[in-house]
Amino acid sequence: MVRIPSRDAESDGDIDSTMTPMIDVVFLLLIFFVWTAGTQIVEYMLPGQLSAETGNLPANLDNPPPEQDFDKVVIRLRWDGGLPDWSVNDQPLETIEEVATMLQSLAGIKPDAPLVIHPDSPVPLGYVIELFDESRLAGFSKVSFAVNQE
Amino acid sequence: MRNPVIHRSRRAGFNMTPMIDVVFLLIIFFLVSSHLARQELRLELPLPVAQSGEDDPAVPAPRVTINVDAEGNVTVGGRAVAMHEIGEQLVTARRELGDTMEVRIRGSRLTEYGAVEPVMLACTRAGIWNVSYAVWRQEH
Repeated sequence: MVRIPSRDAESDGDIDSTMTPMIDVVFLLLIFFVWTAGTQIVEYMLPGQLSAETGNLPANLDNPPPEQDFDKVVIRLRWDGGLPDWSVNDQPLETIEEVATMLQSLAGIKPDAPLVIHPDSPVPLGYVIELFDESRLAGFSKVSFAVNQE
Repeated sequence: MRNPVIHRSRRAGFNMTPMIDVVFLLIIFFLVSSHLARQELRLELPLPVAQSGEDDPAVPAPRVTINVDAEGNVTVGGRAVAMHEIGEQLVTARRELGDTMEVRIRGSRLTEYGAVEPVMLACTRAGIWNVSYAVWRQEH
């Protein structure tokens, strides 16, 4: 014959049994948050400084980042029939690897030269950021984007 | 077979169980709602890949995140915003958050640069120079 345990509020066993659902819930919560944190893709950031001579608010033009006008490196990124087409200071290049090599050699000479990325409007952002990434990896510290002022 | 006998405590004790239940329900409610609210701000976009992507600074500046999807639609704070409204929103944000504020552009890698250009232009016009781009370090 099975004896059903009596539930005595004052006994130690009762405290154990009331704790059980709470521990269950805590574990469920832990699993939920560990799972959601695990499935989330970590995002990183590429810091960029904008600089422009435009602006319609006079107060905003007090301290624009200083621009020095010497030996600029200008990268044109054109979109030609669904494929990107690079040129560094008017020298056409076939692949992003060639661009990276060229940028590394230029950065070796003058890493503080301002670098301007000038993409065409239809170029997908992925290629623009790829170019920005390569410029940063090559060691250029002053990278800016050309923007059409319309 | 004997029925179980429940001995009531002779002391007029305070029953903690319903309180713990309610507290846990509240905790779950707030955790889940904050999680959903964060998800709403994090529109799922295929971000560009960049190896030189950096972690967020330990003390982040006040930030406005601008999402640009593949079709060039712009959303700020989970709300669709027309291109001409962004400038006004950024000016207001700068007034509220101060000059140290940052704009984070979360653009899909498929979106055209022409759709992101006006956002950059609006930032410079609002006097915000601190602009960063959300990237992945590897393909997902």
